[in-house]
Amino acid sequence: MAALATAERVTAVKGPPPMRRASLTAAVVLVSALALLPVLMLVGYALLAPGSSTLQLGAEGLEQVVNTVVLVVGVGLIGAVVGTANGWLTACCHFPGRRWLRLAQVLPLAAPAFVLATVLVDLGSRWGYRFHGIGWAVLLLSLTTYTYVFLLSTESFSMSGHRQLEACRSLGVGPWGSFRRVALPLALPSIGAGVALSGMEVVNELGAVEMLGVPTLSRGILQRWQGEGDLQGAVGLALIALVMVSLLVGAERWLRHRSRRWNMGHEGTSSLQWQLSGWRCYTAQLLTVVPPVVSLAIPLTWLVMSLDHLQSDSLEELVALTLRSLGLALAAAVVTVVAAVLLAIARRWLPQPFLRQLTFVAGMGYAIPGTVLALALMLIGGPLGLSPLLLLLWGYSDRFLAVSKGGLDAALERIPPSVDEAATGLGCSWSQVLKRVHLPLLKGPMLVGALLVFVDTVKELPLTFSLRPFDFDTLAVRVYQYAGDERVSTALIPALLIVALGLVAAVALMPSLERLGSGADQS
Amino acid sequence: MKRITSTTLKGASAGLMVVSISTAVGAGLAQQAPVEIGVYSGRHYNTDKELYRQFTARTGIRVKVLESKDDAVIERLKSEGRNSPADVLVLVDAARLDIATDQGLFQPSRSAALERDVPANLRDSKGRWFGLTRRVRAVVVNPKLVNPATIRTYADLANPALKGKLCLRERKSPYNQSLVASQMILRGESTTRAWVRGMVANVKQPFFTSDTPLARAVARGECGVGVVNSYYVARMLSGAGGAEDKRLAQQVKIVYVNPSHVNISGAGVTRYAKNPQAAIKLIEFLASPTGGRGYAEANNEYPLRGVGNNPYLKGFGTFRADGVSVEQIGSRTRAATKAMEADGWK
Repeated sequence: MAALATAERVTAVKGPPPMRRASLTAAVVLVSALALLPVLMLVGYALLAPGSSTLQLGAEGLEQVVNTVVLVVGVGLIGAVVGTANGWLTACCHFPGRRWLRLAQVLPLAAPAFVLATVLVDLGSRWGYRFHGIGWAVLLLSLTTYTYVFLLSTESFSMSGHRQLEACRSLGVGPWGSFRRVALPLALPSIGAGVALSGMEVVNELGAVEMLGVPTLSRGILQRWQGEGDLQGAVGLALIALVMVSLLVGAERWLRHRSRRWNMGHEGTSSLQWQLSGWRCYTAQLLTVVPPVVSLAIPLTWLVMSLDHLQSDSLEELVALTLRSLGLALAAAVVTVVAAVLLAIARRWLPQPFLRQLTFVAGMGYAIPGTVLALALMLIGGPLGLSPLLLLLWGYSDRFLAVSKGGLDAALERIPPSVDEAATGLGCSWSQVLKRVHLPLLKGPMLVGALLVFVDTVKELPLTFSLRPFDFDTLAVRVYQYAGDERVSTALIPALLIVALGLVAAVALMPSLERLGSGADQS
Repeated sequence: MKRITSTTLKGASAGLMVVSISTAVGAGLAQQAPVEIGVYSGRHYNTDKELYRQFTARTGIRVKVLESKDDAVIERLKSEGRNSPADVLVLVDAARLDIATDQGLFQPSRSAALERDVPANLRDSKGRWFGLTRRVRAVVVNPKLVNPATIRTYADLANPALKGKLCLRERKSPYNQSLVASQMILRGESTTRAWVRGMVANVKQPFFTSDTPLARAVARGECGVGVVNSYYVARMLSGAGGAEDKRLAQQVKIVYVNPSHVNISGAGVTRYAKNPQAAIKLIEFLASPTGGRGYAEANNEYPLRGVGNNPYLKGFGTFRADGVSVEQIGSRTRAATKAMEADGWK
């Protein structure tokens, strides 16, 4: 029987005196300082700027807040249901096409929401239908963000799999019962982390809500800052966004705390999955096939309708754009995952409450809208003459730290502290435990984190747009410019390349995830 | 006294030597490394890059480009201050040009070529920026629903007869902000606000988020009349959006009201340009009849003078500009935006 334990409260791993972990402490302080500096810079700038005013929301500001809340809640609900269902179905059930459908779940994440919105609005205006308003925004953003929930929950489902299933079977519990009564409660932290991530993404979304004409906080921030030159007002709105994201993160942590369970080791699923047949099989296929197909169908419909006037950059230019996106995304994925592992491990190892709080706060960069973060980084980097590429990487890692950290925290909490204690008892330092125990166990969430950061960076817009150096357009930048000029026919090929890059990354990583699930079985 | 003089002389000659050596080294370097200038631009058309290449072929001056949005490049230039690698700033909206000027992002330049090629009302009197292209905020009409002859001025858009037939783009569009600002200059604040309220009452909700879908909606008869930049319709007519788009564009009529609001794109030498001479050469090239035509044709815009050779623009007929200066538009844009918000322009 799997060793499941429930802890009353979190305790840091006991072991050698904290002095030995000075290097870890230093690294954590450095990473957190880098992550927090832009926010502090911004708040300072807003406070020191002349003519400080109190934040006046007004009817418009209120509408922006309400719309943002509706979006976050709506997208969170739909994302949680679809992401969890598809996560469990493709991890724990067997039905024809499962492997491919599992892979395909990454497609919607790879399709930038602003591209889908632009294409929908353009298609609609040709057909005489207006895609407009918050309902469409909820649907579209659910489509492009449910993958967060899917990836984190499916990883949890495959990890905590097979012995439970065995137990369920011997107790006569069916697939639905095993999902509801065993797998779901165990996956709650991951689902919560996924919903929180999608919520943060929604708070940040700009291009799609602009196209669909939905006034949100991120639009209000940009409007106040650049449109009205009211930086304090913009920072004030940004702080509201920050509060919303803090609530999301807080809710996720509370959820995780409630269902804190440790799972000894990892077990595979490959040999034992629920065989679905009949209507159950068809339902599973339908549920898993619809989102990826829709996310591909939107741009492909456009492509087919527009073959007669499709325009493209030269091949040379497309290759250059792709290589830049690829390079930036790889660099961002590596830097961010390393930083996230450091912070996640530190939360486990460092006893000082201050440092543990710091690791929590450091992940809040995701809450700062990209445009605002870009402003903060320009304020830091401009006077110092820092290289734009360096600033860009800094921005990416700051913004996506939470993306890779969320899954890691959830996964680390499944590893019982007794493992660490046993290792330290045997004389291992934290770095040895990290290398020999945690990293192998965390391979799955690290890969998922890297994949998410990679895909997010390829899609990322406001930071890249504001901070890139001369002659350094990326795919996303080019798509946004073409779409902004209302030249969808030119935007489509780079847009499809973005989707392709995301898909390639997913295809490259999925086998390792699958192996992770089944590897322990053979050992 | 003698000693002081000789010391001074020694010092001076040493100084001169340093200067002459550094000049020589500088000249040597200049010969080795080609001059390079950085351009921050609110425009992004692939043909622009071809123009910059032509400029390099002519002058040997290399051009690095960062294409973005007006507001974003303004913020970037501001934050970079003296460290900015940009020599030229290109913006595509009159109000933004004025804002950048107010914030001291340009330096004054004098150029006989620019004074010849750019009409005085399309450049800054102190030479801080120079217009490059013109775009007209036009009224697009579906003749089956609205008689184009009934639209003679922007004021006619507030006519209650157009209730439920008028389509407008959101307030956020800089083109609409500049339009309202120019009306405030011409017709005063209260008349303009009454006009805005009248239009808002006529609007078929919701407001559009871009011009092309708005033009299509007029063509399909979902709206009778709308306000767009004429180059969007010219682009549709050119077939760039496909045969169906071209057919739709042929259903509408572009009406240039009298007088029309004309917005511009323009460029100036940045305050901390490392290469101001090379920078002004690029602006001269872009404003010259050759370069200027390329800049205008890339986007179906009007060149600085006349209509150019663009067949679609020729088809739209002539227009009379309202004569409101860029500075005036810039000074009223914020007030205009506030008024639009207060009067229900989404």
